[in-house]
Amino acid sequence: MSSSAVEPESPDLVCQLDKVQGVVDALTSVRWKRHQDAVVELSEHGIVLIVEETACLQAKVYLQRELFVRYEYSAEGRPRFGVSLGLFVDCLNTFSVPGHSSAIEICYPGPDMQLLLKSVDSSGACTYAEIRTRIPDTISWDYNFEPAGSTPLSFTVKSAALKEAIDDLEWPGSSIHLILQPTPPSVTFRGEGHGDLQIDFMCYANTDLLVAFHCDRQVSHRYKYKFLRATTSNIPSSVIRDNRGSKLTIGRGGMLKVQHLVSVAKPAMPHPHIDSAGYQQPSRIAYIEFFVKPEFDDDGANDT
Amino acid sequence: MKFRAFLTDNGVNLLDKRFLPALDKMGKICYLYLTRDHVYFLHNLLNGDGIQSIAQFRIEALFDEYRISSQNDDRISFTIDLSLLHRALRSIISIYTEFSASHGGDPVGDSAPNRLQIKLVKKLPPHSQQPMPFLTLEAKGYRSAVIQDVPISKPLSRSDVLELQAALDMAQDLPQTLIRVPDMHQLQNFVDRMKNVGDVLNVSISKYGDLHLQVSTTLITLGAEFRKLLVIGEQAESPTGDQNLSAQSRTRIALQRGDAMMVQVSVKHFFKSLQCHLAKPDCAFYGIALQGACLTVIFQFFIPGTHQTDKAISLHCRLPVLDPGSS
Repeated sequence: MSSSAVEPESPDLVCQLDKVQGVVDALTSVRWKRHQDAVVELSEHGIVLIVEETACLQAKVYLQRELFVRYEYSAEGRPRFGVSLGLFVDCLNTFSVPGHSSAIEICYPGPDMQLLLKSVDSSGACTYAEIRTRIPDTISWDYNFEPAGSTPLSFTVKSAALKEAIDDLEWPGSSIHLILQPTPPSVTFRGEGHGDLQIDFMCYANTDLLVAFHCDRQVSHRYKYKFLRATTSNIPSSVIRDNRGSKLTIGRGGMLKVQHLVSVAKPAMPHPHIDSAGYQQPSRIAYIEFFVKPEFDDDGANDT
Repeated sequence: MKFRAFLTDNGVNLLDKRFLPALDKMGKICYLYLTRDHVYFLHNLLNGDGIQSIAQFRIEALFDEYRISSQNDDRISFTIDLSLLHRALRSIISIYTEFSASHGGDPVGDSAPNRLQIKLVKKLPPHSQQPMPFLTLEAKGYRSAVIQDVPISKPLSRSDVLELQAALDMAQDLPQTLIRVPDMHQLQNFVDRMKNVGDVLNVSISKYGDLHLQVSTTLITLGAEFRKLLVIGEQAESPTGDQNLSAQSRTRIALQRGDAMMVQVSVKHFFKSLQCHLAKPDCAFYGIALQGACLTVIFQFFIPGTHQTDKAISLHCRLPVLDPGSS
């Protein structure tokens, strides 16, 4: 059952996912507002979805080809198209009705450059969708992340702890200082606004929280709270419950990179029946990256 | 104008666990319409813009010793707030069951003094000079007695009751083709998610037993097709080779051949109609009325333990169509 009547040429991409929920989770993580335009880039390695907030925040979701049970790529170059992220997520979500097989086929482009989705299931019910795509906006490339020096400045923290810390910083709000120092090895989030709040992750005290830590000199940068919050606030609770590590790296110029891992192999909700593909494969992880630009102290205030 | 009856255990269970939760989703306020033989809960029957729901019970499905009298051919109707009625009923039930339990778990039979009485009364509410009508529920417990007064509207005038009865008669016609919904719960989940994508739902129903739901906006078309469902009424053989077509093409061809009808309804109305599964029907059928006047959903209730329709209970909804010209 094809949802488009005529397909004169072979599409750039036909791929198949056996469970849609993990991808919904991954895309939901970068959905920080209701109306958000995304750019999707296809390649032989997989699908990358990019969203950004003008000149402050960018997020990328990497869906590698290994996540798909079938991935047939036949385009020259790397086709890109724009799509409404909210609509794409809401639409994918209709394919993940509990108690129902949620295997889907994704195809691009349709006869009118649409993104085509349809359920792959033979029980006499078929779900399909055609999402209109746009000519993509240009992606700003000034998010190119470069290491700040010869040694990396990074730490890995449990996702739930990171989210909790950032949620707590809502109270002081406005801008947040992130300080990494080698002695004693620690990470500090400090908010100064309506009040002061400082949250420290001490490397030796919290080995179960702070999984890894690399820092050879003290660094301190300031980030707008609302952008810092966007890096964790939309991660679905089922993913937070998984509680994998989130890795934060500070690059040249204070650019902050936040990386999360989302498992796409197992269903987010417990299923009464586990099919044979229900076991978790190690490679079936979607990668999510946020890039947050630091606030510059052009007014010179509040900087130490 | 008098009404007095005793709610049976079965009636209490039907209202408390099944029908009041379902009907409350249709709208807080409804008409309660009492006649010599039937009790009706009616939503939006006299104003055309909402989803109409008609729940009908034979007296013996809910009541014992039912007494009704009015100068209008023993018919009484008024509006009532369903959530208030449900709250009052639940409070009464706690006392009622406490008493039944204290009598060695004996079900309360005709001889037992404790029964759940329901009646129409006029009372003077606090700080008021004007007596107001109430539907009163009353039960005696082991240590206490409870009376719950549910405020109701003034009873409908004779002409309003006639109008209500006429609207009720009008709402009884059956679509020519009805198809059985495969899994209401699953469909409800699906439509719940569809609500985020668009507001208008195209519903097409074919004589082959295909149900096709589609939301279409300038940015997205999202649809689901359910095939080979059970058909009641007019049916037809699906044309050979149509299994290789897309859902949209199949529907288009069926419409051209006059084997299908399509209407547009509000996604929210459709979702509401699915919430009737709270009344625990045994199956549900969708059909499009003649000339696409409305989308009808009929819920079927079996006599417990059988596959025979329980004729004492019936529930159906009529969803207004958004574009009556297209069919």
